[in-house]
Amino acid sequence: MKKNIILQIKGLHAQVEDRAILNGLDLKVGSGEVHAIMGPNGSGKSTLAQILAGRDNYEVTSGTIEFCGKDLFSLSTEERAQEGLFLAFQYPVEIPGVNNAYLLKAALNAQRAANDEPQVDAFEFTKLIKDKMELMQMSSDFLNRSVNEGFSGGEKKRNEILQMLTLEPRLAVLDETDSGLDVDALKVVASGINSLRDSKRAIILVTHYERLLELVVPDHVHVLSEGCIVKSGDRELARTLDKQGYDWVRKEAANL
Amino acid sequence: MTPETLHSTFKASLNRLEASDPSRTLRGEAMALFNKLGYPTRKHENWRYTDLKPIVKAELDPTPKSLTTNQIKQSTRLLDTSLLDDGAARLVLVDGELLPNAQTLDGIQGLTILGHEETWQRISELQSVELFQRHPLAALNTAFASSGILIKLSENTNVEQPLHLIFTSTQAANKATQPRILIDIGAGSKLTIVQHFVGEDSVANWTNLVTQITQSKESHLTIYRFQEYGNEQFHTELLDAKIAQDAKLKLGYVDLGGKLVRNDVQVDLAEPGAACEIFGVFLATQGQHVDNHTRIDHTAPQTTSREAFRGIIGERGRGVFNGKVVVHRGAQGTDAQQSSDNLLLSERGEIDTKPELEIYTDDVKCAHGATVGELDAEQLFYIRSRGVDEDTAKGLLTFAFANDVLRRIEVPEVRERVASCVAGQLPDYENWGGLL
Repeated sequence: MKKNIILQIKGLHAQVEDRAILNGLDLKVGSGEVHAIMGPNGSGKSTLAQILAGRDNYEVTSGTIEFCGKDLFSLSTEERAQEGLFLAFQYPVEIPGVNNAYLLKAALNAQRAANDEPQVDAFEFTKLIKDKMELMQMSSDFLNRSVNEGFSGGEKKRNEILQMLTLEPRLAVLDETDSGLDVDALKVVASGINSLRDSKRAIILVTHYERLLELVVPDHVHVLSEGCIVKSGDRELARTLDKQGYDWVRKEAANL
Repeated sequence: MTPETLHSTFKASLNRLEASDPSRTLRGEAMALFNKLGYPTRKHENWRYTDLKPIVKAELDPTPKSLTTNQIKQSTRLLDTSLLDDGAARLVLVDGELLPNAQTLDGIQGLTILGHEETWQRISELQSVELFQRHPLAALNTAFASSGILIKLSENTNVEQPLHLIFTSTQAANKATQPRILIDIGAGSKLTIVQHFVGEDSVANWTNLVTQITQSKESHLTIYRFQEYGNEQFHTELLDAKIAQDAKLKLGYVDLGGKLVRNDVQVDLAEPGAACEIFGVFLATQGQHVDNHTRIDHTAPQTTSREAFRGIIGERGRGVFNGKVVVHRGAQGTDAQQSSDNLLLSERGEIDTKPELEIYTDDVKCAHGATVGELDAEQLFYIRSRGVDEDTAKGLLTFAFANDVLRRIEVPEVRERVASCVAGQLPDYENWGGLL
């Protein structure tokens, strides 16, 4: 089956207040693929995820990103989401006073409006998310609570995956979705991610740990260090990193 | 309405009254005192942030007049489009006068609406120089007040259905209406009142309202005061309440319209166990000025007060909040909490907020806090990253800010209207269902 390019990053440089964080990053993600981006703290993983979603705290100094053939930088944060880019936050934000179901429905309808599709009503919406909530093992009272307010760490992460499943993005970027999860919650989250996998979509898993990658098996594993990808491989690379740490990759990269 | 024109207008307005009218003396006393006190100016500590000059300078007529048939028709039309609840028990005041044939009080037992004579009898019982000195505009109200109404609820009566008091004005501009409402709640009784202020956009009138409340022991009174005037209206008011043993007053203030709005609230928790809860939301934008001044006196021991105001200040809006809590000598066991939170949506808006605590006794629990902030950048980004556009995301967060207080409004029609007004004046979103 022919693969389309979902995301293509070329020579991306970015900084925060004159401090360089990304130093010429290249990445190509095709449809149907799952990529894992691993790397030590401070290597630029979360920066990359935030830049993809359009966070304006970072200054992109050079490089290009194409998302489904479009210049990503020409799209606002909301337009990127409407086009099918989804970021699962490392730290999902609490929004007291905004109902979870309301936000979810508003997000879905914004996406539909952008694609000239009819709006969902309350009845349709309930039907649509019922299975997804079951898969995420979330009871219906989640919907009536304020967004992430008072949620446990695991509940917040499951809520992110619920949003992802509802919006069915073309590219999902999951920023350390596995951090702070116990084994059972990790399994629930992994089954959510796996249910989205198909030949039309792509997923980028940003993670420190290999354990998620045993449950959501990546096609490609990349090591990010000091703002660029220094090594790429398959799932075996992740296993090696888990056993041996990152130092050997850094040394290898330094010797090149 | 300079003090000079007031003097001659007052003489003329007294001539309208019968020689035996019970209000003559009271009006005369009030006018004499107002002449001495004058309009409050920014030199007064309580008026530092609010300037009455636009009202003083405007040529407004405070003389009460009977409504013409045409005006009654017009007002009835306006009413049809602004009623919160068609089926509600209601009284309608047009330019401060009760609109005939517009009241529906069917099926409410124990509630009496009394007219001119009884009202002024009650006003005379409550009249005090001290009140006028503290609130000169209340003296002005007394001098020119329309007939006034006294709402009286007998003892041990629980009125389930909220009573709506609708205030509107005729289209005749340049009026300075002085409505007077008195509310007496009998021991052990319970009532909810919705004060609803409506008006058309172009009308630049001034309403100067005085509401005086007397609650007997173990009574419960809730007042939701909902103001949605057009943007040219001036509004000042004093709500003065005295709360007896174990009685509770709950006040909800919502201000959305008006050009210059000043609300004074003064609650005396006069006997042990008395309690009050005051919450409010106001929106000030496009040259609007909204000032909430509250004073709660804990006079007796074991009294409780809760107060929370939320201000939303937009482009060229100006908000003021001053909340004073006085715990008097002997008021041990007082429990007072107050908060003022404000959302500044524009660099060209201004909010002045000032909590004040005066404590003259030991063994009390008092807390207050004030915040001024902008919309949270993290929350905004999060919502936008889900595909919701920036304006809607801002509207949603603003609504959420207000909703924290709005959810305390227990009359659904009021809550819904207020919510849609807040949403309507903010970036629009067509479906607010599920948020309320």
